[in-house]
Amino acid sequence: MDSRPGDETLLLAVAERDMGAFHTLYERHAGWLAIRLARRCNDRDLVADAIQDTFVAVWQRPQGFRGDGDIAAWLWGIAIRRLVSRLRTRSSVAAVFENARAAPAAEDQVLLSVEYGDIGQALARLSPEMRAVIQAVVLDGLSAREAAQLLHVPVSSVKTRLYRAKAHLRAALAEGPS
Amino acid sequence: MTGWHLDDDTLRSYVERTDSLAEGTSVEQHLLSCEPCRGRVNAAASVIELSVIDLAAVWDRTRDTLEVPRPSVFERLLRVAGLPAHEARLVAVASAFRGVWLVGVAAILAFAALAAAVGHARGLWPFLAVAPIMPCLVVASSYDPWLDSALEPEIVTPYPALRLILLRTIAVLALALPAVLLFGLVVPGETAFAWLLPAVGFVAVVLAASTWVSPLRAAIAVSSIWVGVVWLLAARSGSPDAVLQARTQAGFLALAAASFVIFLLRRRWLCQLRPWR
Repeated sequence: MDSRPGDETLLLAVAERDMGAFHTLYERHAGWLAIRLARRCNDRDLVADAIQDTFVAVWQRPQGFRGDGDIAAWLWGIAIRRLVSRLRTRSSVAAVFENARAAPAAEDQVLLSVEYGDIGQALARLSPEMRAVIQAVVLDGLSAREAAQLLHVPVSSVKTRLYRAKAHLRAALAEGPS
Repeated sequence: MTGWHLDDDTLRSYVERTDSLAEGTSVEQHLLSCEPCRGRVNAAASVIELSVIDLAAVWDRTRDTLEVPRPSVFERLLRVAGLPAHEARLVAVASAFRGVWLVGVAAILAFAALAAAVGHARGLWPFLAVAPIMPCLVVASSYDPWLDSALEPEIVTPYPALRLILLRTIAVLALALPAVLLFGLVVPGETAFAWLLPAVGFVAVVLAASTWVSPLRAAIAVSSIWVGVVWLLAARSGSPDAVLQARTQAGFLALAAASFVIFLLRRRWLCQLRPWR
């Protein structure tokens, strides 16, 4: 395990136009990136395109990684923005944050409240639209404009929903568990 | 890398998307900094049916994208203008857009404009002879099978030839007209802009004629006739701009309209669909 080259080494090799190293990097990161992207967009073809765009961008500008933080985080930053720009060019595709998942079972909810306490419950009580905005802006670090493109809503709605969601969470946390 | 790792249940519910937002966020935050857990997610994803993104196929496509040459500046410009990628490629492969062609066209126009600027009345006729026929020559060359090697695959591609030719014509004109206009500014008098209608007329004639003969032959024929007429007028009266008077301008407009109608009516007989050798 330890003899395997690290991501930084691979990226340096990619900068030297080493296709083998590039493939290793792809094998190492494409999977989890795809899963994480698929949680933001239901259209699998779009996710596949975004993955492709991400690695094309990595190949073309491996020096974009400045050596601070994790390469995984850098890759994610590229991937989510590629997804957003793919969504922008294909406005007909209704790609929204998946929220079709079933409501958590009772056991899971207990588990949740044990593991994550109030914040988990407070998040779970938000409407799907607000959760989507929180996820895009607060957790994924997108700008309001990028989030608007990802969610197919006007920028102003992103801002108001974010504002309301934050107020909601603040109130829920101040109130304590219900 | 901390000693803490995701437990199997959390990991599975993350991959299967049965977790909550808070759990998912926590998992994602951990994944960014933990290589072993990323590997486990990758492994779990390849087993579970849920994430049916064919990563091997995506890799093949990625590699293919990297190995084909990057699209030309012009092609990227077309895409920015809103043309789908495959159409941008079809339009851009026309030989008229290869640098050499453009340089050649620019050089001819430059000489003509120069002659006109220096020689005044006597020198006007080279510009007059060259400027109106330039767009139609460029258009013809943009879809003539003899000049354009890219047409071989196009002939077997099920693609509306009419659409292709019109797209290319528009693209060519967008390139050629500004060039001709620019050089026209050097030429004294109103003549600088008077050639626009004949130019449009000739392009339409070439499009219409290409339902009978090769577009290049049509363009050469039209050009020869035009140069002949201008030369004759210049030799006889010394004022070749007689061909650009108001009355003849209307004639050119009619010519353009009639040719275009013929082209639309006979579009199924476009020579492009029946390659000749």
